[in-house]
Amino acid sequence: MSERGPPDPLARLGERIDKARAERIRSQPTASDRSALQQGMGFGFRIGIELVVAIGVATALGWAIDHWLGTRPWGIIVLFFLGVAAGMLNVYRAVSGISTPAGYRRPGQDGAGIRQGQGAWDDDEN
Amino acid sequence: MAIELRPLEQFTIERIIPIHIGGLDLSYTNAALMMTIAVVSVTALMVIATRSAALVPGRWQSVAEMLYEFVADMVDSNIGQGGRQFFPFIFTLFAFILFANLLGMIPYSYTTTSQIIVTFALAAVVFILVTTIGIIRHGFHFLGLFVPHGVPKVLLLLLVPIELLSYFIRPFTLSIRLFANMLAGHTMLAIFGGFAASVGIFAFFPAAINVLLVGLEFLVAVLQAYVFAILTCLYLSEAIHLH
Repeated sequence: MSERGPPDPLARLGERIDKARAERIRSQPTASDRSALQQGMGFGFRIGIELVVAIGVATALGWAIDHWLGTRPWGIIVLFFLGVAAGMLNVYRAVSGISTPAGYRRPGQDGAGIRQGQGAWDDDEN
Repeated sequence: MAIELRPLEQFTIERIIPIHIGGLDLSYTNAALMMTIAVVSVTALMVIATRSAALVPGRWQSVAEMLYEFVADMVDSNIGQGGRQFFPFIFTLFAFILFANLLGMIPYSYTTTSQIIVTFALAAVVFILVTTIGIIRHGFHFLGLFVPHGVPKVLLLLLVPIELLSYFIRPFTLSIRLFANMLAGHTMLAIFGGFAASVGIFAFFPAAINVLLVGLEFLVAVLQAYVFAILTCLYLSEAIHLH
């Protein structure tokens, strides 16, 4: 009960709803901590395999190209290095921010809706 | 007497669950059975939960609502604008993988997601969807994804193949990540279980490790479903908000 005493039950209900809402906002950090941890773990599992698979797939592709075109060993050599580069690029992109999945948009640059969504997410966390 | 360790036996198709329905070329295998169970249980959960929808949710309804809100949150924060129309797809994908992974944790069941062909089919669907949406939304401009801006022309000769490769590798990373995690985890469980069975009096130690591993496997099962879904979201968001 507030000191003035709200005039009618409806206003009192409104007050209680506001209080409950504030409570909920205060309890928010624990929930988002958990989601941050979850996101971090998902992230770790995600990049672990990125490099390995890129190299493997590229090398296999190089081998196949050599097989078809008879360019052994150049296809496998070139594609191995391209695979290393592509794998590193993927890892770099993953590490430089989950919000920059690909393309050359930097976090500072203007972005589309993702950045907006991401911003909202960050606000939640802080 | 030595007990034979066959940690990979659990992945044989058709042998683990002795329910064979049809022995045709397109035979209904144990893997297919587990997929059916996953689909049926997801559907059942959603139907049961929403049949008697109440303002104050019951147990089933809160499980379903949690699942819904989790995916909705993921879609909103990773795709942002225009992401909601992909919600059904992401939800289906996430729920199916989650249930397939978790059902695989039941002893004597079968982990469908430990088959590369299953995960690759899922990843291929995602890849084709993302590429198609990118092309529909942006047309020829979508190819700009492979051409970084502000780079000398000569370097493009090198960078475009790298970009192409890193794009076309996606279905492989997506599928191999899920498949390898499930395969490795379940193999490890079987190996330690086999140790426990073969070392007699010292069985406590491998069994204790196995208890921990089971916990880890549950974590991995949920996390891998999450990773798969979130990467799908990221790829979709990239195809939608192309610049």
